[in-house]
Amino acid sequence: MSYVNAALRPVFDLLLAPFAGLPPIVSLIVVSLLTAVLMLVVFKRTSNQTALAGVKRHIHAGLFEIRLFNDDLRAILRAQGEILRHNLTYLRLSLAPMVWILPPLVLVIAQLQFHYGYEGLRPAEATLLRVDLKPETVSAGIRPEAALDLPPGLIAQTREVWIPDEAELAWRLVAEREGDFEIGVRIDGAPLVTKTLRVTRRVVRLSPVRVEPGVLAQLIYPAEPPLPADSPVQAIHVDYPDREVSALGLGLHWMIPFFVLSIVFAFALRGWFKVTI
Amino acid sequence: MRAAVLALATVVAVACGEGSDPSMPRVVILGLDGMDHELTTRLMAEGRLPGLSRLEKMGGYAPLGSSIPAQSPVAWSDFITGQDAGVHGIFDFMHRDPQTMLPYLSTSRTEAPEHVLRLGDWQFPLDGGKVELLRRGRAFWEILEEHGIPTTIVRIPANFPPSGTASRELSGMGTPDILGSYGTFSYYTTDRLAFLGKDIAGGKVYTVEEENGVIAAELVGPDHPLKTIREPLTTPFTLHVDPDRPAVKLEVGDEERVLEEGEWSDWVTVTFDLIPTQTVSTEARFYLRQVRPHLALYVSPLNLDPMAPALPISTPESWASELAAATGRYYTQGMPEDTAALAAGVFTREEFLAQAEIAGGEVLDQFPWVLSRFDRGLLFYYVGNGDLVSHMMWRPMDPDHPAYDAEKDAPFADVVPRVYEEMDGLVSYALDHLGDDTLLIVMSDHGFTSWRRTFNLNAWLHQNGYLAVKDETLPEGMELFQNVDWSGTRAYSIGMNGLYVNLKGREKDGIVPPSERGALLTEIAERLEATIDPETGSPAISRVYLRDETYTDGGQREIGPDAVIGYRKGTRGADASALGEVGKEVLTDNDKPWSGDHEMDTPAVPGILATSRPLKRPAHNLRELHASVLAEFGVEPDEAIPGRN
Repeated sequence: MSYVNAALRPVFDLLLAPFAGLPPIVSLIVVSLLTAVLMLVVFKRTSNQTALAGVKRHIHAGLFEIRLFNDDLRAILRAQGEILRHNLTYLRLSLAPMVWILPPLVLVIAQLQFHYGYEGLRPAEATLLRVDLKPETVSAGIRPEAALDLPPGLIAQTREVWIPDEAELAWRLVAEREGDFEIGVRIDGAPLVTKTLRVTRRVVRLSPVRVEPGVLAQLIYPAEPPLPADSPVQAIHVDYPDREVSALGLGLHWMIPFFVLSIVFAFALRGWFKVTI
Repeated sequence: MRAAVLALATVVAVACGEGSDPSMPRVVILGLDGMDHELTTRLMAEGRLPGLSRLEKMGGYAPLGSSIPAQSPVAWSDFITGQDAGVHGIFDFMHRDPQTMLPYLSTSRTEAPEHVLRLGDWQFPLDGGKVELLRRGRAFWEILEEHGIPTTIVRIPANFPPSGTASRELSGMGTPDILGSYGTFSYYTTDRLAFLGKDIAGGKVYTVEEENGVIAAELVGPDHPLKTIREPLTTPFTLHVDPDRPAVKLEVGDEERVLEEGEWSDWVTVTFDLIPTQTVSTEARFYLRQVRPHLALYVSPLNLDPMAPALPISTPESWASELAAATGRYYTQGMPEDTAALAAGVFTREEFLAQAEIAGGEVLDQFPWVLSRFDRGLLFYYVGNGDLVSHMMWRPMDPDHPAYDAEKDAPFADVVPRVYEEMDGLVSYALDHLGDDTLLIVMSDHGFTSWRRTFNLNAWLHQNGYLAVKDETLPEGMELFQNVDWSGTRAYSIGMNGLYVNLKGREKDGIVPPSERGALLTEIAERLEATIDPETGSPAISRVYLRDETYTDGGQREIGPDAVIGYRKGTRGADASALGEVGKEVLTDNDKPWSGDHEMDTPAVPGILATSRPLKRPAHNLRELHASVLAEFGVEPDEAIPGRN
């Protein structure tokens, strides 16, 4: 999974880089369009288009029958039964392409979440740095030796707070200027582990947490490479504010315009791609 | 079609009023609450207020007469409407309902929904409740807007909820916290003996337990609006205490903060759940006062969240959040400086000043953003920090104050002058960033002076046979007239300066026939004005203002007190009397931290007026200034302004 993420991160960074300075809805429109095209192509290649067209014809015929014989209750009920049956067939025929569409879509959404789900920090805006230690590396009653290695422009406003019950260390950080920073954390003399922190107004990839290796963890948090497996650190968190995408005067979670636009584009382009959906 | 669109755009532009007329005057008013003429003049002479000194040379500087009484809601309402309290209906911070004899806030009223559907312990409103602004009369910005002049009114007192008649408004003094109070702080401590048996006004103390380095507690909100039984909304929060160092991690909902001892948090969003789909959003600042031996955590009053206010605080509604998005979250409560925490001993003076600096700093920091968006018309910008700091920090400037302690007070002697310097910095900023075509008006609603002696008006009425009590042996502290025998009471006091006749047919248990009201008031006024303070050898009261002689008969006069007491400079009414308590002593020394005040005879506490050019229509008091502002735009006030106070 780490290799997949390592390959996808630069692809999405490159794809979205031209739009980084623009309102997020602009690049979301482009991404939704590309997603719609991708889904149409995959759907066309992995579905039984002939059977789908036949089923849709049957459904239309049923609807037509209901309108035509609207004074015949038995005919209406029979037509509704047929529509239901053909709908189930339609769903069955759609399952196969969905199996092909969903996995890449999950990867796409996971990548997009870290471009659109969070806002970069601003200069002078405080954030919390949390370091979760692996419970097995923590000895009861003994405070871990923790040291931060901060680049110029990034300041720790507090010393660490140690929370034994949660095996967690926490600091308050603040950046003096915009930029990309790499925070170094050293625990009990173990090798330094790092975490990115970005102070920017641009729409760029932001990683709120760097996690330990693992398929599920890497699927959910693909924005940064995993921590070394032998590190006493389980995860490093940086709090970024949640982002709302402004669309039609509303502040929305990015997935709402993304799905709406993808569906709209897919329906609008299905004729051009000669796809029955 | 194109012509129609252009015409529509023109209409919209004219309606919006901005940028439509380059020749439209630009007027910026800085309202500096409580800036005293005497102190300002001294500091200007010392060269400490260069901004105001520049103004004095450019347009003028003079004292500005306040209202009767010289209380902020009354004074600002005088300025807003150009009328006295007989027209605008604000006579005091609080009024009384003669049918219940209970006090209520004078400037706004909250009404519950009229119709509710009850289902067991739950109730669901079928119509909306409302918050009503009780100030009457027409505001100067309303008149200007009617003439097509755009106005932006930031935090002017006595304007909650916002009137809705300016292009942009943010409500100020009078805006409550989420509990509906002027500000109720919370104090969490593991010390079971802290404040034990002490009366904490304006705050609540909660004792909490630490277990394995974790303190779990609740923030307490208003009563659940959908429950028939009184049950406060609560939201949990957790403190993780570092086992070795004086620091904690705070968790409230999804928000987390690290705090070291002595640190303030930034604004933390605090959300209360009503039902699964409905929440009430508030915000609070946390101050970690102490970690060991006992934890002590101060939580500011839960302010209305400017990003999603539960009550209206701006016009348009989105402007409060626009301001927060641009300049950061801020106190929405009208009087944010927590004087109650200092008075209760929850804050030291240093802690109070740190909190006041945060609150005042927000207001100062927002000014450049607001000013940068000001184009044409009128901008009013209010700063209240000076007033509340002066209330708590005046004594250090007054070695003659009866409670003055050189060792404790002297280090704070320069606090108020430094606040004046900060406000002067705002004046300089405005002068530096406004063009020559813009008129800058700097004004205050009243002045300030040392509050040395306290006059308990209800005690005086009792000792002089005007007010009867049920039981002479009862101790002090019986608020809201609990110990008053109305069958033998002819006059009583509630509010800071108000004296009322217990009038038959008006008061619930009134005994004085209306025909005797005038003679009774004259008699009381003469005796009050003849009362000598044995400590000073001077009259304790300069003047008693009879309502019918003082206020315009503008439809609101009946709300007000029958007489307003103008205490001599240095003497002020007792808090206890203002809340309907009958004290044992009439005149006492003021030994409270609240040591500066202005609720004295109006001529004793003038405010200031400074302008960047001479006004077209000179003003000597707040009501005249209303007309002066209109005159700068060539607009006449609604009615002739009464003469000087």
